[in-house]
Amino acid sequence: MRLSQEERQMLEGQRGPAFRKAMEILCRLGEIYGAERMVPVSSVHMPGSSVIVAGEAGTRFVEETAARGGVFGVYTTLNPAAGDLERWSTLGFPPDVMANQQRLTAAYRRMGAVACHTCTPYLLGQLPRLGEHVAWGESSAVAFANSVLGARTNREGGPSALASALTGCAPAYGLHLDENRRGQVLVRVGCELRTTTDYGRLGYLVGRECQDRIPVFTGIPASATLDELKMLGAALASSGSVALFHVAGVTPEALTAEAAFGGRGPEQSLDVTESDLAAGSASLNRARGEPLGLVAIGCPHASVQEIREVAARLKGSRLHDSLHLWVMTAGPTRQMADRMGYTQAITEAGGQVICDTCPILAPARALVERFGYRSVATNSAKLAHYAPGQWGLPVYFGDLEQCIRAAISGNWG
Amino acid sequence: MAMASTVFKARKVVGGKARGPALVSREPVCFLGGVDTKTGLFTEKDHPLEGSNIAGKVLVFPIGKGSTGGAYLLYEMVLNGVAPVAIVNLKAEPITAVGCIVSEVPMVDQPDADLFEAIQTGDLVEVDADAGVVTVVGKGPDGI
Repeated sequence: MRLSQEERQMLEGQRGPAFRKAMEILCRLGEIYGAERMVPVSSVHMPGSSVIVAGEAGTRFVEETAARGGVFGVYTTLNPAAGDLERWSTLGFPPDVMANQQRLTAAYRRMGAVACHTCTPYLLGQLPRLGEHVAWGESSAVAFANSVLGARTNREGGPSALASALTGCAPAYGLHLDENRRGQVLVRVGCELRTTTDYGRLGYLVGRECQDRIPVFTGIPASATLDELKMLGAALASSGSVALFHVAGVTPEALTAEAAFGGRGPEQSLDVTESDLAAGSASLNRARGEPLGLVAIGCPHASVQEIREVAARLKGSRLHDSLHLWVMTAGPTRQMADRMGYTQAITEAGGQVICDTCPILAPARALVERFGYRSVATNSAKLAHYAPGQWGLPVYFGDLEQCIRAAISGNWG
Repeated sequence: MAMASTVFKARKVVGGKARGPALVSREPVCFLGGVDTKTGLFTEKDHPLEGSNIAGKVLVFPIGKGSTGGAYLLYEMVLNGVAPVAIVNLKAEPITAVGCIVSEVPMVDQPDADLFEAIQTGDLVEVDADAGVVTVVGKGPDGI
């Protein structure tokens, strides 16, 4: 790889061991993927921000990086943690896990990261523009940044995102390059997408088919909301490893479907009907009569509009006393929900608005043991995909309306 | 069990050499929500590897998928002594690659043979990532 003088100096250790190790990781990646050079990145979103993912090994890796003089050179935001950093104790999160989380958060903060602990940094103003190179992790945020914003990032794992945060660069391969951003699979959506959950159903179906290829959707209305596109990307990146999708007439690199394919034809075409949607996500809804335990909304983290909808649907009702309702979001979004009275409406009904964490990155097994949950219910295809593995529980998957109705009645259906 | 061994070339992703019984999945693999990092037990529902243990195995699968958290999880499995000894992919996805770089797990991709014809679960496999050579040393009699 051709390195700039500054990059070479980092690789040679002139800025100390943390930067040398970082450049080594990035150069190795660049060699694997045939990158000819590095590209400067303007921001990093850090996967591996929860100790549930980083583990002891990753936590030590991050701590050692900080101890060896690591300082972040670019704006870096943190992905969700293992618990709500302020209210974990009252929520019943295990102290040992949270003690380790404090270590990990502290090490990242020491290097300069903003400890927002959210999977939707773009809702907090971490907003790269069209064509801007960044190095992001968090599969749903990667899909959003590439697709909805038109920024350029590969799927970064914890160690490579950390390396880019230090060095301010990433190897120029994959989605950093024009030629790799063209669509590959045409997806004609022939049915109405009625709820945000329908966007998740669609993404889950298409992600399984595409694996790491780039879908181009037609038939999605220009009125699709950020929440709907967020849900679509999160699901695409769960059943597959889709890092970029185009929506004709909606996303910035797809003014038309033809533009998104960049002059080539699709290598595959899919037609999605109403019955495909239902069949494709049937595997996510696997609970059969198990009592409701945890009802989880906000995967990816809820926007203030979504919190408002939960509050409105709960109005005048109380949750069934055998279950918990979590609405997960970022700290600043919760503050806005507080101001608007949504948090109060949700807590008065018996639910919780939880910050900094999510059911995929929380100590799920310990919480099952503590609260005796027998199932997880959610409106998120992504969470419905990961919950059986993380929580060891069957999942009820349905629209928000169905989830809230179930949380009030105590019955799914 | 003296059989002619199958040898094929593959591209080095992360260098090193390892030998172990193969564990083969025709479906993509994600380490988050897919594998218990304390035991190496594969937990993803309805996945062909559900219930298998990846510890000490040469893990063979087409491509990584899903969460970007997978890289540190592989590192954690190495620390806990339950990681696969090598990874053979059709195509190296960056999360798996970074995980292997940091964990120093040998990894190859782009095999020049039909991977799923050449290797079945239970076969004894040797991966020389530095040389880009995968050798099926012995066919497994009874899987894992």
